[in-house]
Amino acid sequence: MASEIWTEKYRPKNFEEVVGQEGIIKRIKSLTNSLNIPHLLFAGPAGTGKSTLALIVVKELFGENWKENYLELNASDERGINIVREKVKDFARTKSLGKVPFKVIFLDEADALTPEAQQALRRTMENYATTCRFVMSCNYSSKIIDPIQSRCAIFRFRLLEKKDVKKVIERISEKEKLEIDDDAIESVYEGSEGDCRRSVNLLQSLAAISPKINQELVKTIISDFKPKEVRVVLDYALSGDFENAKGKLLDLMLKESLSGQDIVKSIQKEIWNLTIEPELKVKLTEKTGEVEFRIVEGSDPFVQLQALVASFVLAGLGK
Amino acid sequence: MKNWSELYRPEKIEDIVEQDEAVEKLKDYIDKFPSKKKAIILNGPPGVGKTTLVHAVANEMDSEIFELNASDLRNKSSMNEKLKPVLEQKPLFEKNKIILIDEVDGISGTDRGGVGELISLIDESKYPIVCTANDSWSQKLSPLRKKCEIVELKEISPSGIKKILIKILEKEKIKLNPSSINKISIKANGDLRSAINDLEAASKLGEDVVFEVDERNKKTDIFKTLRHIFQDKVDAEMLSSFDKVDMPLDEITLWIEENIPKVYSGKELVNACKRLCDADLFKGRIYKQQYWRFLVYENIFSSYGISEAKGEKEKKGFYKYTKPGRILKIWLSNQKYAKKKSIAIKYSQKTHVGYKRIMREWNEIRNILKNPAIQKQLKLDADEIGYVMKY
Repeated sequence: MASEIWTEKYRPKNFEEVVGQEGIIKRIKSLTNSLNIPHLLFAGPAGTGKSTLALIVVKELFGENWKENYLELNASDERGINIVREKVKDFARTKSLGKVPFKVIFLDEADALTPEAQQALRRTMENYATTCRFVMSCNYSSKIIDPIQSRCAIFRFRLLEKKDVKKVIERISEKEKLEIDDDAIESVYEGSEGDCRRSVNLLQSLAAISPKINQELVKTIISDFKPKEVRVVLDYALSGDFENAKGKLLDLMLKESLSGQDIVKSIQKEIWNLTIEPELKVKLTEKTGEVEFRIVEGSDPFVQLQALVASFVLAGLGK
Repeated sequence: MKNWSELYRPEKIEDIVEQDEAVEKLKDYIDKFPSKKKAIILNGPPGVGKTTLVHAVANEMDSEIFELNASDLRNKSSMNEKLKPVLEQKPLFEKNKIILIDEVDGISGTDRGGVGELISLIDESKYPIVCTANDSWSQKLSPLRKKCEIVELKEISPSGIKKILIKILEKEKIKLNPSSINKISIKANGDLRSAINDLEAASKLGEDVVFEVDERNKKTDIFKTLRHIFQDKVDAEMLSSFDKVDMPLDEITLWIEENIPKVYSGKELVNACKRLCDADLFKGRIYKQQYWRFLVYENIFSSYGISEAKGEKEKKGFYKYTKPGRILKIWLSNQKYAKKKSIAIKYSQKTHVGYKRIMREWNEIRNILKNPAIQKQLKLDADEIGYVMKY
């Protein structure tokens, strides 16, 4: 059964269906044709086809039996490098069946691992070098330690061009019988910042509302995505109303179930949309950074954010 | 031989000092029983006359007191055993009865029977029930608070204590150094019983010796501590004010957090929030580094620091302090967060995307998840579907 989730339903199943990244595809294709691949490192922004290509590679290599020979791990979701190593160990213990003499492990978001964890991973890669190939994905290859980089063939994925994303949207719209005009497609591309996966998600969200999609609808939906309520908190704070700012902050954390880190990130971004003195923007950014640091260090997010909001109140009083 | 604090325990209402309001409330409760609340708690620090008050009122109203203690409430059978004579015997000469449960906060918080048994006793009792407590605000008594009228007993003023001490000395025909009497009256901190005990000890020394009182470590309730920190002029003695509260520091912090905006405003408020934030920072560091000396800093910021946030002044007036509500809300929110996470994990398994990323992009896929076909594909359970449809 085909998936109802469009990012899966329309995920390219072979090299021909992939849009953009022509150079990369050519090189990877020749590697898979030889039925022997080195470790691969896919570097590039989100939604440019890293996971998709990894899947295509294993499907090309193993055909029908790809699932038995493929392990997918997400470095930022797994709790610590030891869990990753355990899973790799379990998976690598048995030999691959069929004509390809190795199995493939896809480690997504590998740059979420600390350098120390990557060192540990490197040992694992060496230990299972004969039975396993690693395909790693990351946003920035600079966050991957040199020894791992040197063991991998590196592929740099570029952000998809507008015409490529457009092609994807048009293709899906046709199959799903949607009416979408060029302006709307443009807005979908802008709204998802060139991230193809998010474009498709956005399209499906839009289709859930109406099969006729125009620019206005896209803009309403996108503005709905943005955490605008952080702005409400800041507006209350700057007007000197601490009680309401605090109340909204608690609402945000509880009703929207946003984590403290989510909120502090939004606040950091929102500072640039406030009409306040440049000097104040810098100062508030400094406070925000300190609060984010404290939250990461394990302080109580609400207490920390409350103090940050208090800083905004003070900034508002000085205005 | 009885010691003085027993010997001079007042038996009549008019001998009770400085508790007129509590006396009226208790009489009113017993008079009107069972029309109002079904039980009453006399809440106050030790030695202000809670038990004495009950006995004196019972005397005046010609009622018999039947006393239970917290350990009798441990289980139903032992409680019923104790209560049998009260519930079954006809009172002699139709005397009324009052059930007194002294020091109810001594009730076991760990075995749940305690408070539960007491509540069922309150529901069934045909006689008025009077409890005494030092800290009726403690967590374990919260189910009890709903059933009871709470009457606060104030500490006895130093001058009130002094008068009584002098009266006792007259009866005992003993003379004492006046400065000893003053010291005892002041250092008693409103605890009349301890003052009488000190007086008895001092009387053995003779008139010439000035009696030195060693201060007792007295527990105070959280409200008093909050008033002290928020409203009194900042003072280094505040550094030890949390030691006297029978509550873990984490819980005290929540009380402070809840009440900052109730008392402070403007700059004071901002300052106080920052101090609390610094205290919390060190708390985090204690847990992270397991370095307990940081507790010193946490304590300083959350006591002295909070008090100093208003500058070097007092805040007169009445502020209503409330108990913290955030923990319950957080708990509810965590339940919701857990649901969101379990959905994200299910989604992640079908789409080759990390669940943390899904959580970040939640708004963008939220509407997609409302599609029943997708809910079926992801095998969402009823709770998860409920969450998706609601948020």
